[in-house]
Amino acid sequence: MAAAETRIPRPLPKTGRLVLIAVALTFLGLFLVLPLLVVFVQALSKGVSAYASAISDPTAWAAVKLTLLVAAIAVPFNLVFGVAAAWAIAKFEFRGKSALITLIDLPFAVSPVIAGLVFILLFGAHGWFGGTLRAHHIRVVFAVPGIVLATIFVTFPFIARELIPVMQAQGKDDEETAVSLGATGWQTFWRVTLPNIRWGLMYGVLLCNARAMGEFGAVSVVSGHIRGLTDTMPLHVEILYNEYSYAAAFAVASLLALLALLTLAGKGFLEWRQPELRHAARRARWRENS
Amino acid sequence: MSIALRGIAKQFGEFAAVKDIDLDVPTGALIALLGPSGCGKTTLLRIIAGLDTPDQGQVLFDGRDATLWPIRDRKVGFVFQHYALFRHMSVFENVAFGLKVKPRRERPAASEIRKKVHALLELVQLGWSGDRYPAQLSGGQRQRVALARALAVDPDVLLLDEPFGALDSQVRHELRRWLRRLHDELHFTSIFVTHDQQEAIEVADTIVVLNRGRIEQVGVPGEVYDLPTSAFVHRFLGQVNELPVRLSDGRAYLGPIDVSPAAAVNTGAVNNIALIRPHEIEVGPEAAGWPAIVTAVRVIGPVVRLDLSVQGQPANEPLEAEISRERYEGERFAVGQKVGLRFRRWQVYPANGAAA
Repeated sequence: MAAAETRIPRPLPKTGRLVLIAVALTFLGLFLVLPLLVVFVQALSKGVSAYASAISDPTAWAAVKLTLLVAAIAVPFNLVFGVAAAWAIAKFEFRGKSALITLIDLPFAVSPVIAGLVFILLFGAHGWFGGTLRAHHIRVVFAVPGIVLATIFVTFPFIARELIPVMQAQGKDDEETAVSLGATGWQTFWRVTLPNIRWGLMYGVLLCNARAMGEFGAVSVVSGHIRGLTDTMPLHVEILYNEYSYAAAFAVASLLALLALLTLAGKGFLEWRQPELRHAARRARWRENS
Repeated sequence: MSIALRGIAKQFGEFAAVKDIDLDVPTGALIALLGPSGCGKTTLLRIIAGLDTPDQGQVLFDGRDATLWPIRDRKVGFVFQHYALFRHMSVFENVAFGLKVKPRRERPAASEIRKKVHALLELVQLGWSGDRYPAQLSGGQRQRVALARALAVDPDVLLLDEPFGALDSQVRHELRRWLRRLHDELHFTSIFVTHDQQEAIEVADTIVVLNRGRIEQVGVPGEVYDLPTSAFVHRFLGQVNELPVRLSDGRAYLGPIDVSPAAAVNTGAVNNIALIRPHEIEVGPEAAGWPAIVTAVRVIGPVVRLDLSVQGQPANEPLEAEISRERYEGERFAVGQKVGLRFRRWQVYPANGAAA
């Protein structure tokens, strides 16, 4: 057959492709790379020593520790809940399923400020449970438990939302096979379901973690802004900024950005540690394309 | 293990997937559940496996009521159309899965497991593939791994849901023959679901034809093909030509051909139709039968299919006849040629019931 007949016409002329690539790169630079750079440039604008003193300030350190603590509680909690909810929704039929899905989305729909206010109304001094809590000397609002609760609420949907479509797409065949081969429900979950969803799960955890560390609105309402006690990093950045200590504000902000970059690096490392998976994925892609 | 179904019914919402099914599968049988999509065949298979529970009726394993037994206790191997291999495990790990999840008391030693898995992979002619991942295998190879995995736990019953449906025809043909041989060697009871009548006829000892959640007919392949008890079965198992039966003076005609001796003609029904398979039409000289014109000739390997237009039949619904290649080489029917038709066999059904 003549080659001319079988040749697939090129989708775009060369200049067109270059223009598109340039537009995409400009966008990327303007909205992703530049802000990140500005954070670090501003943080170091008064020199390295000013940067070092800004982040070694005890209140800054307290904010870092509190942020990490909150994420360390909120993420595992939502991990367990998210996996359980996605498993139930994707693999089983039950009454009230659509109601559950809607409920999971609720934190996305509600403004974080309102989420924070809800906890004030529930656990604040004049809230529903305020009296009981005071009687038992338990502080929720304007204390760490309130911040954790608000963060859990706001980051509730991330992992479940990430997993539901993955699990639905995978169907039930694998699990049914495992059970027919004699596996218990627990064995099926650990050996079949969890490995199948690990990439989706990891991505969900990353998103959840990023939001848990970065949440401002809801946490701002319940925290009370007690320096060194209930200030998380985002709140601390704002306080410093409002006090016109720009360099210090950006120094803490740069730490927050660094934490985000670290989680991304962690994801890359995990992917890199799984050569057989990359291998299999590449082969599958190659097979589909050929 | 013998399996018996007694009055099985299952409803999904408003849709009755299966209704009042009775079926006996003797030990060691290889049975095909055959029917169009939505006929309930997969539901029935899943009920036997324990993946679904029936709303009514009983599943008996060797005479014991197994309706509510958990899947794990049933000793069934289940093979899915899309293999359902665990993609994060190597082929070896896949086959070993059923052995490794056994409780510690029953679990064979690691060396024992290795030996058994290798034996099974040899059995499915994939001895070389233990270290590969499912993504690195072809469809036919994956399905053989799925079979080896199901066989690893020594099931009494092997259940296969459209096992070859996702494969191309060459591989499908090979795997069918291979499954048949495997069954003859290992003597377990097998039930497989298919919508492909050819596959059912080629592989099974017994065919169960299902339609709209009910069993239409049960029989050995030749019987179901040659002596269908309903127009549905007749149509579903192979090609058919449909002709209206004309009644006149107490005699029955297809076109000008008198088919009265057919005792099956139901003179009580207002309309009857006759179903005739393409190879049951005899094509001869014009004077020797119902005059027809050849409108198309297609040589399909060993057979030749002729489209024939006859008077009284719509032009876009020609009769289809099949003759042997040898016959065709001798007579050289050409498009436009006038011929005469006779029918070697036909079967008459009431038209209203057959409209399904």
